[in-house]
Amino acid sequence: MEKIIYSILSVKRNPEKLNALLVGMKGISGSDLCAVSFDEITAVVSDINRTNLIADRSNAIEYAGVIENLAQQFTVLPMRYGSIMESTGSIIKMLERNYHEFQQNLQKVENKREFGLKIFCDSEKLQAELRAKSETHTTTPAKHAPEIKNSVYRDWVNKKLKEHRLEELLLTYVDSVIVKITGYLDRLNAVNKFKKMATATNIIDAVFLLDKERKDALIQAVEILQNQYPGLNFVLTGPWPPYNFVEINIK
Amino acid sequence: MSENKILFNTGSLDELSEEIGKLTNNEESKLKLGPDNADSGLAKLVLTLVELIRKLIEKQAMRRVDGGSLTEDEIERLGETLMKLELKMEELKKHFNLNDRDLNINLGPLGDLM
Repeated sequence: MEKIIYSILSVKRNPEKLNALLVGMKGISGSDLCAVSFDEITAVVSDINRTNLIADRSNAIEYAGVIENLAQQFTVLPMRYGSIMESTGSIIKMLERNYHEFQQNLQKVENKREFGLKIFCDSEKLQAELRAKSETHTTTPAKHAPEIKNSVYRDWVNKKLKEHRLEELLLTYVDSVIVKITGYLDRLNAVNKFKKMATATNIIDAVFLLDKERKDALIQAVEILQNQYPGLNFVLTGPWPPYNFVEINIK
Repeated sequence: MSENKILFNTGSLDELSEEIGKLTNNEESKLKLGPDNADSGLAKLVLTLVELIRKLIEKQAMRRVDGGSLTEDEIERLGETLMKLELKMEELKKHFNLNDRDLNINLGPLGDLM
């Protein structure tokens, strides 16, 4: 029977704790969960029929639920949805082949959790504010500036140039917010990843990895930042398993 | 996402819900290729790539105009070329019954292509 892998974890100290936890949990479609180990590294798996596995919302939620429950009690490396292997034997071989990478990644995320920060804005309002600010700072053109042709093509370039400059202003603004955020995060020893302008309204989409005990300090820092940027909407979520901070190319 | 996963939020969660909605229901941005629609599916894929390249060229051109390294004649020629390219793209989109949203593939966690 094929097996779907939910997470990789280390249970060197208390394998009984994991077994007790797995008894009370169910995998996709109510399947039983079990542990497959090689030395100190364990994979949490359940039986699956590959042909029946649909990548739908309910299966994905069940899959994520197992990882979430495990992460509440152990340091885990979440596997990507749909990680299926033919048998218990092939999983053991995979654990053996990737043993050091798993160990290294588990050390990296030990006692840490992931948090997400999304910053939203009213796109039109922010653009209008930035435009107004830039117009205030624009100096008068030089006396000997080259004469600008008046044509339909030049008008088109001017229109595009305006849009380009606004985009640049927006990116500079987003960068300044990121600098402010990283200033606070450095104090919490957080590892962070930022994505700028994910959509027109989601100007920053960030994930942080930090000690789980520092959750309250992070919330406090976000509260301070929100007060500094009343025009933006900060949404902090977590704690999550370290989905964005595990880097393994499984052999 | 369960309610208790939101640790801080002062505004409305509409934007977040909208974004989650897009991720879970991104049918529009999927490339639908099948025996019955091979032409339009392929046109969508090709035009998406052409549009991406066109936008990159346009962006780079605007950087150069803004940098002041081009003469007025060069800007004029650039404007003519890029404007004609834009119009041609509009024609092609119309021909294949596609709009701007159709030409923006959702790359999952990486966001939208354009």
